[in-house]
Amino acid sequence: MIRLERLRKTYGALVAVDDLSLEVEPGCVFGFLGRNGAGKTTTIRMMMGLLEPTSGTAVLGGHDIRRAPEAAKAVTGYLPDHPFLYDKLTVLEFLRFVAGLYGVRGAEAGERAGLLLEQFGLGRTAGELTETLSYGMRQRLALAAALVHRPRVLVLDEPMVGLDPEGALELRRLVRGLAADGVTIFLSTHSLAVAEELCGRIGIIDGGRLVVVGTLDELRARAGADDGRAISSASLEEVFLGILGAGGNGPA
Amino acid sequence: MTLVALLRPRLLSLRNVVRRGRMRAATVSGLVVLFWIGCFLLFTHVLGYFHGLGDFGPFLTQRLLVLLFLTFFGILLVSNTVTALTTYYLASEVTPLLAAPLSYRRLHHARFLETVVASSWMVLLVGLPALLAYGVVYRAGPLFYAGAVIPAAVGVLVTTGLVLVFPARGTRDALMVGVGLAVAVLVVAVRLLRPERLADPAGLVGFASLLTGFGVTGYAYLPTTWAAETLLPLLGARPGEPLFYFGMLVSTAAMLFLTSAAVVERVFLTAWSRAQTGHVRAGAAERPLSRWLAFVVRPLPGPPGCLFAKDVTVFLRDASQWSQLLLVSALVGIYLYNFSALPLGDGTPLALAMRDLATILNLGLGAFVTTAVAVRFVFPMVSLEGHAWWILRTAPVPLAQLWWSKFWIGYLPLVVFAELLVATTNGLLHVPFAVTLTFLLTLVPLMAAVVSLGLAFGAAYPRFDTQNAAQIATGFGAILYMLACLGLIALVVALEAWPVSRLLWQARSIGGVPATQLAALLALAGGTGGGTALGAFWVAKRRGLRALARLGGA
Repeated sequence: MIRLERLRKTYGALVAVDDLSLEVEPGCVFGFLGRNGAGKTTTIRMMMGLLEPTSGTAVLGGHDIRRAPEAAKAVTGYLPDHPFLYDKLTVLEFLRFVAGLYGVRGAEAGERAGLLLEQFGLGRTAGELTETLSYGMRQRLALAAALVHRPRVLVLDEPMVGLDPEGALELRRLVRGLAADGVTIFLSTHSLAVAEELCGRIGIIDGGRLVVVGTLDELRARAGADDGRAISSASLEEVFLGILGAGGNGPA
Repeated sequence: MTLVALLRPRLLSLRNVVRRGRMRAATVSGLVVLFWIGCFLLFTHVLGYFHGLGDFGPFLTQRLLVLLFLTFFGILLVSNTVTALTTYYLASEVTPLLAAPLSYRRLHHARFLETVVASSWMVLLVGLPALLAYGVVYRAGPLFYAGAVIPAAVGVLVTTGLVLVFPARGTRDALMVGVGLAVAVLVVAVRLLRPERLADPAGLVGFASLLTGFGVTGYAYLPTTWAAETLLPLLGARPGEPLFYFGMLVSTAAMLFLTSAAVVERVFLTAWSRAQTGHVRAGAAERPLSRWLAFVVRPLPGPPGCLFAKDVTVFLRDASQWSQLLLVSALVGIYLYNFSALPLGDGTPLALAMRDLATILNLGLGAFVTTAVAVRFVFPMVSLEGHAWWILRTAPVPLAQLWWSKFWIGYLPLVVFAELLVATTNGLLHVPFAVTLTFLLTLVPLMAAVVSLGLAFGAAYPRFDTQNAAQIATGFGAILYMLACLGLIALVVALEAWPVSRLLWQARSIGGVPATQLAALLALAGGTGGGTALGAFWVAKRRGLRALARLGGA
């Protein structure tokens, strides 16, 4: 499970994330939505121990990222929005390296890496340097690396960016499969269609604050209450615009 | 779109960097001015010395000017070829330029100017004080740039030809190795000229006859000759036809510029397309290097073993990293040669005193040479993780463990290198064993401090914008790192000077050092110098860990 406890990040007078608390149950796919600059990536970076929160904390798989960062990271897989890799390692070497960091070594690492490479359509590029891969293939490789240690929590920041339709479909299948196996998934995305299709619960962040959390139906109800009209069959896009308003910078 | 508009992003970026880091800009400017003043004084002194040699002097200064131009031209030729490869075919900003409604000719002009500036500023930095010292600053400017255009145009043409035939990344690697070799050969060649002979009028004759080999008439078709033939008559050194040679220089530069523009205009898209194709290597999924490293790291615990295997693999596959070993090897060769060439063996009191001084300084010099190696290999370690740092930071590996992994990877080869260097040079100086032992023991914590400082400065001043280790080692943080190490080494040498001089004196006057005194002196040297180094190591480690924690990730 994932629990964010009053997470806050400030840069001088600027409040990037403000008092953000939420909980995601095991096996749930949680969609994290918001406009550009709303605080999604900052939140994720604090969750993953890449950025120190000003206050508050995140608990991943029962481990506090501030008090027991290694334990929290050991059960978590992470795909950043721009997954930079080591250019001079081959695809297979990269996967084995990441596996080693998570304590998966030897034959088990090789077996696991081989399976993931086949699953993500990278089997034929196993001996290539990662610098020769296209953006989409690098994205697939980074995703394979996030799964190499069989995480119980998966944090995905814009995972669909750069993927071709086949890759995107494969990823959606994978997310559903992992959730069915009990993996808790935190998914930040700009694709409202993907969120609508995959996420059991959705949170919308705006100006660093969590504006609303709930199932799609709960969000519809909330948007309808705000709007003063019933929008029980509204799409997530309409709900999103209804909650945040179509003005300003517009939706992300 | 005008040329100025195309160069605007670069100029605005530079302005913003200066505005946001006024302190850094002021420090760099101060260091550059100091460097210029130092170079100017040195050149003025050397030229003044030559002029005092009667009829012989002007001849020597003319030849030295030709040699200077020839060296600059060679450096510019190589540097422009490497730079053009990046600015034309590998830089990310070429993509939006290609997508813009912009002719290839105009794109060539913008990239050309950037190539000239990027590859010539260092030569200008070093060359200007020398030309100032020749008293020709007002004429040197146009000459220098006319001279700089020629190698840039040749570089663009060579690069374009190479990219059309070979993959761009392979070409870059091959060029980097070529540059490493060329610089190493140049450094060794300059040393083998034995410039110390210049201080001795008898030896000067031999040196001058060697310089005669760089005669003006022997290289009539070289632009460096035209530059010298333009300058020398203007200097009043001898009669000539400066206008003719200036015309040769300018017209050749213009012709080559237009040729390069025409060639680039015709083949740019083909060359660019080829450059985007990576070097795809068919074959087994697992390479022999991986298998060998997996065997080597088997006894090591998980993350340190993985990090070691990864760092070694990246090092061996990145030509910008391992090609620097060529230059380091040349510097070490020169260092050893210098010690073997010192005239300390005549047994006079002066020679003995000089040997004692050389011995005491050898600890500092050996440590400093090792620091020069560390700035190329340890300081860039954090920057080379680059944007992939997120992989390590999100892995369940404590920051301290990452730090120690980096430390051992840098420390073990460097401490062995420093120990061998100092032991060898002490052997060449016939230094008593007790003194050598003191130095070797001191180097253990001193090198730990040097590596720890390298990681601290590397984390505090990371350069994620480049993957070229050689470039990382020339940044602002690298200069600060060198200065910090220089200060620490000077302090350690100063602290150990007295105990070491006692050891040297006793070894020479009574033929050996009693065990009790040896132990006392060793303890004193270790306690002061070694203790200081350990203190620096500890402070740098703390600062380094803090800087690493601040780095965040992708």
